[in-house]
Amino acid sequence: MQTIKQTSPYVRKDVSTKRMMIDVLIALIPVIAFSIYRFGGDAILRIVVSLVVMVGLEALIFGLTHKPSKAEKWIDRVKSRYQEYSINNITAPAISAVIFAMLVPSKLPIYAVVIGATFGIVVAKMLFGGLGSNIFNVAAAGRIFIALAITSMFDGTYVGVDLVAGSTALTTLRSGLGFPGVLNSYTLGELFFGFVPGAMGEISSAAILIGAAYLIIRKSADYRVILSTAITFSVLMLFAGLNLYPDMAFEYVLFHLFSGGVMFGMVFMVTDPVTSPVTRPGRWLYGLLVGVVIVLIRLFGAYPEGVAFAILFANMFVPLIDYPKWSTNKIKPAFIVGYIVLLAIFSLVVYFGVGGNLA
Amino acid sequence: MITKTKYIPDGKKELKESPILHYLDADYLYYPVTSQRCPDGVTCVRGGQFVKVGEVVGTRKGAFFEQPMHATVSGEVVGYEKHIDNSGKLVDCLIVKNDKKYELHPSIVERSDEDIEKLTKEDYITIIKDAGLVGLGGSAFPTYIKLQTEDPIDVVIANGVECEPNLIADYSLMMNNPREVIKGLIYAMKASGAKRGVIAIKKKYKEIEERLKFVLQEFTDYNIEVVTVGNFYPQGWELAMIKNALGIKIPQGQLLSKYGVLNFNVSTLQSIYNAVKKGLPVLERLFTISGDGIHNKNFRARIGTLVQDLIELAGGYKDEELPKVMVLGGPMMGTNILQDDVVMTHTTTSLIVMNEKKEKEEACVHCASCVYSCPVSIQPVQIMNAYKTRDKDALKMLEVNKCIECGLCSYVCPSKIHLTDYMRNGKRFASK
Repeated sequence: MQTIKQTSPYVRKDVSTKRMMIDVLIALIPVIAFSIYRFGGDAILRIVVSLVVMVGLEALIFGLTHKPSKAEKWIDRVKSRYQEYSINNITAPAISAVIFAMLVPSKLPIYAVVIGATFGIVVAKMLFGGLGSNIFNVAAAGRIFIALAITSMFDGTYVGVDLVAGSTALTTLRSGLGFPGVLNSYTLGELFFGFVPGAMGEISSAAILIGAAYLIIRKSADYRVILSTAITFSVLMLFAGLNLYPDMAFEYVLFHLFSGGVMFGMVFMVTDPVTSPVTRPGRWLYGLLVGVVIVLIRLFGAYPEGVAFAILFANMFVPLIDYPKWSTNKIKPAFIVGYIVLLAIFSLVVYFGVGGNLA
Repeated sequence: MITKTKYIPDGKKELKESPILHYLDADYLYYPVTSQRCPDGVTCVRGGQFVKVGEVVGTRKGAFFEQPMHATVSGEVVGYEKHIDNSGKLVDCLIVKNDKKYELHPSIVERSDEDIEKLTKEDYITIIKDAGLVGLGGSAFPTYIKLQTEDPIDVVIANGVECEPNLIADYSLMMNNPREVIKGLIYAMKASGAKRGVIAIKKKYKEIEERLKFVLQEFTDYNIEVVTVGNFYPQGWELAMIKNALGIKIPQGQLLSKYGVLNFNVSTLQSIYNAVKKGLPVLERLFTISGDGIHNKNFRARIGTLVQDLIELAGGYKDEELPKVMVLGGPMMGTNILQDDVVMTHTTTSLIVMNEKKEKEEACVHCASCVYSCPVSIQPVQIMNAYKTRDKDALKMLEVNKCIECGLCSYVCPSKIHLTDYMRNGKRFASK
């Protein structure tokens, strides 16, 4: 009888990374379905292009970065490069690809989709070492790259723009009707269910919430980051609303929650474990950072929207949050106090900032 | 999944229900001369000499203590052989041929209750030292050293949690011999001067709780209570158990006695009872054979029995063509062995034989399940990364030495990374 050498523990829990990733794909189904329902073939085409580019390029670069054996036939040498290729090398880029496709408007030229997906998978992921080693969120990096590099291509790509408002909800807020007026073009109900112009996956908060519920029930995403981002975002927006529109502060918060990409970002992008800190307090802090940056960009920045920016920005702070000297998995009283103080400081900054009192 | 894991399937149900086979008549018995804690040892008998049950046949020598070894049968000393002991290493063993008469050595006399009343703390320590008692929960730490403490002891706690899956030794002891455990606890309280005794068991063991409480009605003179703790892993770790049973938080690395607590495994308490009341050393113990690669069975066998005999009695291995993983102890922290040539010692509780399951290691996705599940609040994933880059400072900052090697990090990892191994290597590297 053959005996095998092992070290303890000898039993393992019945969980797998594969299952976690498939869970994310399942959670994305309502969002995908809604985007196809709204935009039809345009949505399917962009999702498929993004999938082909990301999964294909990951496979190609995976092969190039693994050493071949010294086999006689060239086909065996190629095969030997893919010995460690697993299902995770398909599902992980597939998630990034779908998320990336959900971040772009439905009429965006196909080659812009190709450029963004390529940048995301090649520069933000494979150059950093592939699965598990990337510092930046792949989809966010791709989206930001095309937003900065080929900005003009986005003109007129949003479908379903209200004639009076003339642009998407968040843009209208800045250059056009202003806050209470925008609700005449896009009601809170339309914003919640997604019958507004916008990026394909970001528009329907209802579909996103279904996915979020699934992810949290399956425990395939950490509720802490979602909750922390949501709390920070809502509290800060409430303070802004209290100063700007004291009578409609609550509607102001809901308007901001349901418009733009904040909902999609906090359920599907901030939760990406690879680019999150690894401790409980770290994850709360990470969510706070994302929430604060989104609010600051929306209220004071040059862009109408900043979810992807905020995520990339917070990604940069992850090594700092996880620095061994202070990282701990215990939630200590000092941390809770610090978190509330930070929230209070930013709330005050926002409150006085939006009134122009700081200037 | 990204969450704290504290329940693990324990696989004890079938074992608890299966009967215990008494196998006390082995033809030859083997006594390891050395052990994990005692690297040296001498024997004081010659080949051909006749020994009796309970006779001292040698002494194991540890760093700061000595431990007598006793014969568990009567018969003739026939020589030496090498066998594997509890730690998985080959050690010299003294062989005694069993004459099956079980004559007791004259030094073994039963004490009357009046005599026991008169015993002082020093007497208890001498009795326990001479009986060679060690922690039977697995630590094999000499029991008398715990009792020697100068600190005032308020409470003696009996650890009956047994959180490792597949082990039922403590369970069946408390079920079948609760009086001996309670009396042992009373002796330990007398020896240490503690006023209070606590028996900690798992919440789900309702039958044990009832049984102990029923028997405790006979001992109303003593302040002994049964406390239930959660069904988690690693609840049997003494610091976790004491925190949940007594509410006393003891930092790692501190002596329990500084906090007025003494902790004994329930099997150790039974051995204290046997030593004090009957004058006996540990003669037998419960041994479980489990796992999907072997016919499962519970045994009561003499210390020194060869495990091979027990495997044969149980019905042998299943599917011999499949490669197997053999473990002494529990599946989370047990010792891996490559041959079944094992001698039962005081702390050998179980043999698990599993058909090998190949796990493919995937890339870490930083899900932090290991960080969330760690019972000592360290960060396995970061320690792994620090060890990979051989970063000694980071390893120290991450407090790798706190690790108790409970195995939960490897258990929960969805990418099947063997984090516990990284912890062991990290510890070794950090202390170099």
